[in-house]
Amino acid sequence: MTSATQPVVKLGLQLLRGPAGAVLVMTAIFVVATLAFFAINGREAVSLFQEMVMGAFGDSYSFSETLVKTAPILLTALAVALPARLGLISVGGEGQLYLGALFGTGAVLAAVDQPGWILMPLMLAGSMAGGALWGVIPGLLKTRLGVNETISTLLLNYVGILLVSFVVHGPWKNPNSLGWPATIEFPAGAILPQFFDTRVHMGLVFGIVAAIVLHILVTRSRWGLGLQVSRSNPRVGATAGISYERNVLIVMAVGGLLAGLAGIAEASVIQNRLQDGLASGYGMTGFLVAWLAGQHFLRIIPLSVLMGGLLASADSLQLYAQLPKASADILQALLFIIVLAVASLWARRSNI
Amino acid sequence: MEYFTTELLTLLFAALRSATPVLAVVLGEAMTQRSGVINLGVEGQMLLGAMTGFAVASVTGDPWLGVIAACCAGIALSMVHAILVLGCGANQIASGVAVLILGGGLSAYYGTPFVGDKIDALGNLNHTFVSDIPLLGEFLGPITPTVLITLLAIPAISIFLFRTRTGLRWRSTGESQDITRNLGHNPTYYQLAAIAFGGLMSGFAGAALAVDYTANWVEGMTAGRGLVAVGLVIVARWNPWYALPAALLFGASEALNLKLQSWGVDISPYLLATLPYMIPLSVLMLSYRGLRASGGGMPAGLRVVFQSAR
Repeated sequence: MTSATQPVVKLGLQLLRGPAGAVLVMTAIFVVATLAFFAINGREAVSLFQEMVMGAFGDSYSFSETLVKTAPILLTALAVALPARLGLISVGGEGQLYLGALFGTGAVLAAVDQPGWILMPLMLAGSMAGGALWGVIPGLLKTRLGVNETISTLLLNYVGILLVSFVVHGPWKNPNSLGWPATIEFPAGAILPQFFDTRVHMGLVFGIVAAIVLHILVTRSRWGLGLQVSRSNPRVGATAGISYERNVLIVMAVGGLLAGLAGIAEASVIQNRLQDGLASGYGMTGFLVAWLAGQHFLRIIPLSVLMGGLLASADSLQLYAQLPKASADILQALLFIIVLAVASLWARRSNI
Repeated sequence: MEYFTTELLTLLFAALRSATPVLAVVLGEAMTQRSGVINLGVEGQMLLGAMTGFAVASVTGDPWLGVIAACCAGIALSMVHAILVLGCGANQIASGVAVLILGGGLSAYYGTPFVGDKIDALGNLNHTFVSDIPLLGEFLGPITPTVLITLLAIPAISIFLFRTRTGLRWRSTGESQDITRNLGHNPTYYQLAAIAFGGLMSGFAGAALAVDYTANWVEGMTAGRGLVAVGLVIVARWNPWYALPAALLFGASEALNLKLQSWGVDISPYLLATLPYMIPLSVLMLSYRGLRASGGGMPAGLRVVFQSAR
């Protein structure tokens, strides 16, 4: 080895000891774990893995479906990452998503005869209000009574899903749907704009813009600094006029609002109506992505695309390779476990 | 009047039966938390236990083998949490959610072939000496073995925790790992045992649900019972004796839900189905008020967990 290349090698090794090395190790272990999972279940592991990658990013249609899945994951991940800035662990993305769909649909049904320029803003406002409500409730329980937000958000998820079931089986059921529990089809004015003749919709834009805005707000603004102070020591924050309680409500409401947007986008663009099983699992996937990203808003964007790819390819493999849908859950969980393990060990090692 | 008493007693025993899986999880999770570890993965462990128990009962034809297999499955999955939390030092909440997703995925993946199978139930106390007890015999009859085992676990856990030397060290680990270490014991061993016991009880709870209570396997059938149980541990103040009334709260809400529907009350079944979540949540709110004032017996080691996001 010449002396000229030595600094480069040294730098490379240094990078490998840092976060880049951790990511490499995580990726390698995850690929091996996925192959092992396929092999254990008697599949042609390598070819199935190739198909999985192709199913997510192989052609423009696959990639568009990946982006369709990306939108709700991105929005629900932001709904986890923002409260985490205050040290809150919210697992309520799922319920907030359902409440957003519920309130947004309510607005559509109430103003169904109005033109699009009235209907669309009403629908979006409704969905944001619904999601924010499902974020503020655990926020209030936390600030007023001290109820742990993780438990209250988890329980409220089930309530939110049941409330949607209630309206689509009951008061909002379309009388002409031949017994199928769903609302009427949304009018054209209540369908969010889509791009390039695909199902990729405005929800993705909302998510990306929100991630960038939140990143700037949290890293550059007074309010963002206030969150940091509040988190590390609420009492110090209080002496500087920063109310921990008010910040809890704000981050929970804004997080819920974003997840609510994801809900109405699913109902409007993907289902064209409100019905049961609106978006099962996006909330949990969002939680996972937020943690994988280390609660960092900008890192959430590419990770949501990757996770969207996993879900989209699982959908297509279910069709073409009879791979059960649950395998997507198993692979997500494996990825989460591997990342948690490697990141924690890496952090521990660098502390020594 | 007699009609009313009968209805009330029926409701109470129905509540006890539907509370049993939750009670088992509350007992196990209370023991886990007593050592200073919280495990949200109990929901996933319960699901995997339910699926494994049902599958083994279906294949072998012996429901008791199913119960044992369910316990093993619960312990096995809980070890993922143990490795992440104790071995790698990962965040407990995140690790719990990972276990939750894994348990849900595994049980859905491997449980599909067993959907719709018929299994032999564990049986109940009908036609035993219990039936001859005047008045109460009629209500005690439908009690099943998992109910009895879970109820017997209460005094057993209580004696272990409060009357034995090991139980004392178990509790001291949850208050301060340093104390246990200074006494010459390894706190990690106690936490490992605590997580495994939580796994055992949640796996058993799954069996109580799938092999005994419903004799059926459906994907995602626990429907948040494990998570409700984690909340109810706080209501029960980490005390095995209070676990019974806390779990009965869930059982009563579920029994009430079914009862109201059978009476033809004109409320949507979907709204009634929110009761088993709303009632525990409401009581949780009340008990947090007390908790704030007095500390309410929360293991000191848990406070740290509850107050860190990463």
